[in-house]
Amino acid sequence: MTEVVIVLIIIAILVALGFGLIGMVKGGKAGSDKMFKSLVLRVSLSVFLFLLVLFAGYMGWIEPNVVMFDAPVAPAPVQK
Amino acid sequence: MTTATASHDDHHHGPEKGLMRWIKTTNHKDIGSLYLWFAFTMLLVGGAFAMGIRAELLQPGLQLMEPQFFNQLTTMHGLIMVFGAIMPAFVGLGNWLIPMMIGAPDMALPRMNNWSFWILPFAGGILLSTFFMEGGAPAFGWTFYAPLSTTFAPDSTDFFIFAIHLLGFSSIMGAINIIATVLNMRAPEMKLMDMPLFVWTWLITSFLLIGAMPVLAGAVTMMLTDRNFGTAFFDATGGGDPVLFQHIFWFFGHPEVYIMILPAFGVVSHIIPTFARKPLFGYSSMVYATASIAFLSYIVWAHHMFLTGMPVAGELYFMYATMLIAVPTGVKVFNWIATMWKGSMTFETPMLWAVSFVFLFTIGGFSGLMLGIVPADIQYHDTYFVVAHFHYVLVTGALWGIIAAVFYWLPKWTGKMYNETLAKIHFWWAVISVNVLFFPQHFLGLAGMPRRIPDYSLQFADFNLISSLGGFAFGASFFLLTYIVIDCIRNGKPASARPWPSAKGLEWTLEPKAQYHSFNKPPSRALIEAESQNS
Amino acid sequence: MSEQEYYIPDGTYWPIIGSIGLTTLFVGFANQMHGAEWGGSVMVLGFAITVFMMFGWFGLVVNESNNGIYNKQVDRSFRWGMSWFIFSEVMFFAAFFGALFYARQLSVPWLGGADNNIFTPDLWNAFSASWHQMAFMAPGSVTDTVLQSGTVMSFPAVPATGIETATPAMVVDPWGLPALNTALLLASGVTLTFAHHALRAGHRNQIVGWLVATIALGVAFLGFQILEYGHAYHDGLKLTSGIYGSTFYMLTGFHGFHVTVGVIMLTVILYRVQKGHFNADNHFGFEGVAWYWHFVDVVWLGLFIFVYWL
Repeated sequence: MTEVVIVLIIIAILVALGFGLIGMVKGGKAGSDKMFKSLVLRVSLSVFLFLLVLFAGYMGWIEPNVVMFDAPVAPAPVQK
Repeated sequence: MTTATASHDDHHHGPEKGLMRWIKTTNHKDIGSLYLWFAFTMLLVGGAFAMGIRAELLQPGLQLMEPQFFNQLTTMHGLIMVFGAIMPAFVGLGNWLIPMMIGAPDMALPRMNNWSFWILPFAGGILLSTFFMEGGAPAFGWTFYAPLSTTFAPDSTDFFIFAIHLLGFSSIMGAINIIATVLNMRAPEMKLMDMPLFVWTWLITSFLLIGAMPVLAGAVTMMLTDRNFGTAFFDATGGGDPVLFQHIFWFFGHPEVYIMILPAFGVVSHIIPTFARKPLFGYSSMVYATASIAFLSYIVWAHHMFLTGMPVAGELYFMYATMLIAVPTGVKVFNWIATMWKGSMTFETPMLWAVSFVFLFTIGGFSGLMLGIVPADIQYHDTYFVVAHFHYVLVTGALWGIIAAVFYWLPKWTGKMYNETLAKIHFWWAVISVNVLFFPQHFLGLAGMPRRIPDYSLQFADFNLISSLGGFAFGASFFLLTYIVIDCIRNGKPASARPWPSAKGLEWTLEPKAQYHSFNKPPSRALIEAESQNS
Repeated sequence: MSEQEYYIPDGTYWPIIGSIGLTTLFVGFANQMHGAEWGGSVMVLGFAITVFMMFGWFGLVVNESNNGIYNKQVDRSFRWGMSWFIFSEVMFFAAFFGALFYARQLSVPWLGGADNNIFTPDLWNAFSASWHQMAFMAPGSVTDTVLQSGTVMSFPAVPATGIETATPAMVVDPWGLPALNTALLLASGVTLTFAHHALRAGHRNQIVGWLVATIALGVAFLGFQILEYGHAYHDGLKLTSGIYGSTFYMLTGFHGFHVTVGVIMLTVILYRVQKGHFNADNHFGFEGVAWYWHFVDVVWLGLFIFVYWL
């Protein structure tokens, strides 16, 4: 669940960054405004996401990828 | 509205003299010519390798070369043809034609344009120099699968990797330039749906290039570190996977094959209406079909990997997605035929190439569909059937489009007319010999002859003999092509501004030999509408 | 110069110099890897030529821009060019992220016997599919293995390059330096946004202050990154530590390279701000570099989350 939220926020950040790019390409006063607003949004979202990840890690909702796999561990060595 | 080419120096009006003209040039026509001559040289080099391959395969047994050298020839033939001949030739055509077609004076970023060409001779030089290194040139096929290209490859592979990096820089810069040109330098009165199809197909091809070439750069970078710095991307002993290489490679590789064919679609969409004396059938459906093909090309890559290990669900998905590409491609073929339907057709040389393109490319397309079916591919995979398939789409597809374009626009480039009789002789020579060369390879593949082998069992001897003889004849036809082009440049009769009376397009409104900077002032709305394909 | 006029730049030697520089760099690099003594010096020479080309070429463009030679169409061409260049960068990083996801979600579990990979126990004695322990098998630990069919298969115990291998004790802890570094880089994004705001409002002194802060944060990030590499290396996580080390160092390494380039570009922008090259309405050079920095920042955020956490 937390992972899904995190990934969604990352997508939102990428979209904001993309709108910034569109603003940059457009140029002029309108483009400059659009770029600046999108980048402000992207910075705010990033800071929020960072704090969220730290909080989630602190609360134990997500774990660092030390323990990765629920996949069955290989059976014990078979001597041949 | 004052419109003139800005010139703070006088020499803007004409080219500089001597060698420095070509090294410093920012002119799209100069750079286009450089690209085309470079591509033609590389075509002859790659063709020479192909002659070596066919000579060895003339008879069963090893006659001329060691198997290792044979593998070097097949590898370098593929690499040189793909990265040295076909792609630069299309960029050359784009350079020459796009500014003229959209009513612009030049490309958007002319200096970068110069650089994207001048990287090529260096990259090509590095690539070819591997033949003279210890261990010889890369011998793992143009797809350079790991671990053949990592653990078991000669030292020269690192030079090959850097050559690919340089070629990638060049392609990306060329693509950025074309996007900026089409979107920013287009005549202000020209809407997107007024653009000629060659411009549309190149614009879409540019997006494919920018999406695909960096991924190839990533793949060869991983190869480089796997080879020299002990990373384990493609090494299962370190938790990586050789199949990962194939995924990354074909994520580049499948868009790459459309990079090589979409501009040819554009060329043919110009030539057929001209000589059928009818407007192009279904202009907008052509545009949407091109965009659909481009999108689909990103999500079908693993159909090259049906036999390398994939969950069944993956095989099913990639099979169905691949079948889907037949729909927009079918739309295009249908439109070309509908354009010719009840037209008053004549068959000048460009039209001969274009019509044979439609016919022969469709053969290649159908064999592609056969290969895309998983249970059938289990039989065809890595046989000569695959070789026949991709030569039908790349030689009688991509190369045919390039040659058609050269004959169609040569009068505009040189202001002179080529020798029509010789050109027709050359066409029939090439089209017959190319089928003698590649059609029997279908039979060889179905009979089970694997690709990339210097020797084969006796039952394949007859078809290989026929194929090799066709190959030599096809190779020889390029001497005639060279003569025709040089003869046109030197002795051609003067051409009119619109040598094909029913041709449409802004480029035909220029002088017979297009002036150095195409449009000093943007064409009017009336002119654009009169010359539009979308009418 | 009015907007209706087309502009075509003069020819220059910079492209051919760039080609020579890159070729020299690559030829030197390849020979250096193959043990030629002269390789390193040639590589440095090629790098120097390339840097010389970049300063020369960009300097030429900046001069022409300041002399008012360009028009709005040229400005838009630069904008298109920059945006699609960055898209190509995105795709380059995508290849490495793709390798990371593929290895973690597919190839490592498969090697450990996930799905129905029945060969694994036979081929890989004592192998366990945990992310951090992925390393080349120590020399001699893999012996010829007899499959049930009786075929003998042998596997290379060390990569063909013969490089020493290592097994890291554990994954890099995200709580220490990585979290600090993320905070630093995010802070640089914030300061850059303030600089951007100041530029648009026309407050030159504030721009300089915020830009200096951004550059300082970028440099601090790079310093801590080197420190973290030292720690990780000390704990046994090396480039040769199997797929974990490969993806970890290649992703963070290429990112670090981009931060370095970004710091250099920001420094140039700082210089140009002080020279008064920009105004509130016309500052594409700043916008291009700012966007690049935001992009590098987001890539790091992705790295922090995907490499260290998820």
